[in-house]
Amino acid sequence: MNIAIILGSLALGAYIIAIVESWATYGRLRLAGPALAALALLGRESVLARKPDRLFFETAPVLLLVAGLLAVAVIPLAPDLIITDLSSGALFLNAALAYVLVALIMAGWGANGAYGMIGGWRFLGQFIAYAMLIVMPITAVAMRAESLMTTQIVISQVELWNIFYQPIGFVLFVIAAMGLAYLPPLDLPLAPGDLAGGVEAEYTGVRLGVLRLARMIIILSLAGATVTFYLGGWLGPWLPPWAWSAIKILVVTVAMLMAGHYMPRIREARYLALSWKLGISLALANIFLVGVIALVVPI
Amino acid sequence: MISGARKGAFSGLRKLVAAAMAQELKAFVVPGPELARAHGLDLAKAGLPLAVTPRHAGVLLIISNLPEGLRDAASVAYAQMPRPRAILALGAGNLAPLPVADVSADLTQEGLLSGLAQLRRAIAAGAFGNDVTDFEAPALEIRVEYTCPMHPEVVSDKPGNCPKCGMVLMPRETDASGGHAGHTPNESEATMSQHNTPEHSKHASAEAAQYTCPMHPEVVSAEPGSCPKCGMFLMPVEGKDADDKHSGHGEHSQHASAEATQYTCPMHPEVVSAEPGSCPKCGMFLVPVDDKDADDKHSGHGNHASAETDDGIEAHFMSMVGITKDLPRSSDGLQMDWLEVPYGPFFPGLPGGLGLQLTLDGDTVSGTGIRNLVGFAAPLVSTPVAAEDFIAQMMKTMPHAPVSYGLLAVCAIENAAGTKAREDTARGRAAALERERIASHLSWLSDFGAQTGFRWLATSAAALQLKVQGADTGQIAALTPAITALLGRLRRAPLMRMRLKGIARLDDSVDAAGPLARAIGLNEDVRSDDQTFSALGFSPALRTGGDALARLQLRCDEIDQSLKLIAAAGIITAPVAEDIGKAKGEGAAALETPRGAAHLRLVLKKGKVISAELDTPSTRHVALIEDMTAQQELGDALVAINSLDLSPWEIGMESRA
Repeated sequence: MNIAIILGSLALGAYIIAIVESWATYGRLRLAGPALAALALLGRESVLARKPDRLFFETAPVLLLVAGLLAVAVIPLAPDLIITDLSSGALFLNAALAYVLVALIMAGWGANGAYGMIGGWRFLGQFIAYAMLIVMPITAVAMRAESLMTTQIVISQVELWNIFYQPIGFVLFVIAAMGLAYLPPLDLPLAPGDLAGGVEAEYTGVRLGVLRLARMIIILSLAGATVTFYLGGWLGPWLPPWAWSAIKILVVTVAMLMAGHYMPRIREARYLALSWKLGISLALANIFLVGVIALVVPI
Repeated sequence: MISGARKGAFSGLRKLVAAAMAQELKAFVVPGPELARAHGLDLAKAGLPLAVTPRHAGVLLIISNLPEGLRDAASVAYAQMPRPRAILALGAGNLAPLPVADVSADLTQEGLLSGLAQLRRAIAAGAFGNDVTDFEAPALEIRVEYTCPMHPEVVSDKPGNCPKCGMVLMPRETDASGGHAGHTPNESEATMSQHNTPEHSKHASAEAAQYTCPMHPEVVSAEPGSCPKCGMFLMPVEGKDADDKHSGHGEHSQHASAEATQYTCPMHPEVVSAEPGSCPKCGMFLVPVDDKDADDKHSGHGNHASAETDDGIEAHFMSMVGITKDLPRSSDGLQMDWLEVPYGPFFPGLPGGLGLQLTLDGDTVSGTGIRNLVGFAAPLVSTPVAAEDFIAQMMKTMPHAPVSYGLLAVCAIENAAGTKAREDTARGRAAALERERIASHLSWLSDFGAQTGFRWLATSAAALQLKVQGADTGQIAALTPAITALLGRLRRAPLMRMRLKGIARLDDSVDAAGPLARAIGLNEDVRSDDQTFSALGFSPALRTGGDALARLQLRCDEIDQSLKLIAAAGIITAPVAEDIGKAKGEGAAALETPRGAAHLRLVLKKGKVISAELDTPSTRHVALIEDMTAQQELGDALVAINSLDLSPWEIGMESRA
């Protein structure tokens, strides 16, 4: 039952995001847009690139989808509304999303085009930038909750949301999540101006549809993770818990989608330098601070 | 039924899908969205989003008449579009080799709107059909040529041996033109061989290709397909050199044809087999070895080179050291496979019409070839033309700066005829030139935003450009606050500064004109010598950085300055020559176009232009590309090229590579 509810709300969420994303990209708000776009993609030929690595080419979109769905499994929408409340939930989220990298490299490589291949390898570089900054803030969150269970992490924020308890971690996590979901300005593997669509460049029709759906689910799962780890999950007054989760997840998603509208794409070298020199130092400082506060202040 | 319909009976669900497609059209614009804007087309307002690759587009939007080279490239783009696909031609004449346009309309916003509405109806009513016609882009026809693995300069139409080293020439595919494909058919075989099925086996003419399962080597088939045991795709093999695609060191056996080859497991050297296959212990592919050098297989490259000199190595022995020792190293010192990647002529991050061939070493650009497909040809005038026709012709050839070049022609003709424009006409013309500069710089900002993923800049600069083009002084005064606000926000954007600082720095030794020179700090501006501009209070804007950031800031400064000049001039006059009668003589004019100083010399005879010579800034600037992009990261290289603000139409054809 939970699975059905969560998958249903995921579909609805993906639909809403698609509306927002097309609004952000093309400046037109069209409620039927995503449905029409999906139908149009279904009807279009799904061209097989010349001399593809078929196994990689076909597997990549599905793998990306699976990675996103697995990540969603540990996001709680309400105390009981979670697909599987693993005792290592926060770690599992990480493990599931590690396949995003694999899927993108496969997609870039499989299509046998230079744009895609460079896009895939760029994402490998991007992985080096964001990977530590996903894990290290989660470490600090888990330290406070004294658990890796996502539900336990939400409950640990009853007194004070983590966004106020560990703001540095929040900022680092959101930026890293945008890198992981290759959202602008960190859309280096797609880079329309440099790579004409990059890893998506050779995909058409249904395969492209799956690739885009998968990405939306990844964005949603990361927004869900942000809400769970930092924004108190389902906690909130008046409204039922699931409504708070839905509102928070949508707000975070929209913010992540709109941010790229107002800034140019970052240079990969700069991104790596900032992530390692500044990001990791801050993340370590965050872990230290949270450790000290957890010892001294009992909230 | 539309010409690019997809095969299938048009019924039930497909009707619904077709209706959805008609609403969800994305356009791939040929030659580029900046030309659409220059002609006053507002695609966003018409509800036609842009696709960055033909693969994601449903309609090929053709703007204006295209020269033959661009039509060939457009046919490649069209061939890449997934069906159902359609062509909407605005103001275009002959489209061959493209199929006839599904809808043709005028090159105006009204034409776009009505054409688009008509096209949507056509797609909704005929996206699928039973008798679809094939379309083959002539430029994509593939031919096979033969080259030596050691001497890439040896290329032959026929198989045979290399005249330099006697090795067997290897076949490779090549096509007539790169187009937008993103495929790199003639990349070196090492480049992608692991995921291309091995090229030399697939297309080897002499031997019949066989297919086998990567997991079950006993499965051998003459046809491609999937393995009956595990369902995996069968991989092609070619006799005994099927092998070492995964070994990473192709040196040993690839061409070992004379001797019997043995196969061994990279992890378990004790496993030796006479047949290719997989290791019984770990399942890895067996790699071939020659007996005599099996020992030093793991000892690194050094041994190969030192033990025997190149001369002593038998002809079949292919050493990685030998292959790569003469290749230039990139700046990072990493030896990587080099890719030849076509960029343009319709690449979304580059000016439409400009075709580049980038040699990529990883994601570093190690070489740039330029293949401009548009541009003006000399002589400009072959038969005598009337003065007004010459002016009209100049405006038509330079779609990115028609007013500037029209005005240049007017000034040269007046100079030749010995007449002089009245003071208020000159002022009005100066204002027209400045208005075009604002529009041109805004268009550049929009392209720059699109290329760097700064979507707010791309959309708002484009919207302002469309409003500025053709506006009168009152309208420009009304637009001034919006433009100033855009520039203010752009100057403050810290990420933009971070993105551009230090990219593509030019120093004063280069041959640069216009904004490029002024961004280095050189006071190079034809307007400084012009009395009309002096009267309007003009003094050139200068910046000193010389990098892409300085160019951006300088163009922002110039927009501000041009707004002030227009306000001071008070009127805008279109460039029209006064009646010159039967005047004759020689004349010259120089004018500061948005891209720099252009010079025109012409000869008049009986009131007709009999010869003309044009020198444009873009012709000079295109030569800067190669040095600017050398050893730059791909994204930086494209920013560098874009920061030049080239107009491919303003590049003299004789200078193209």
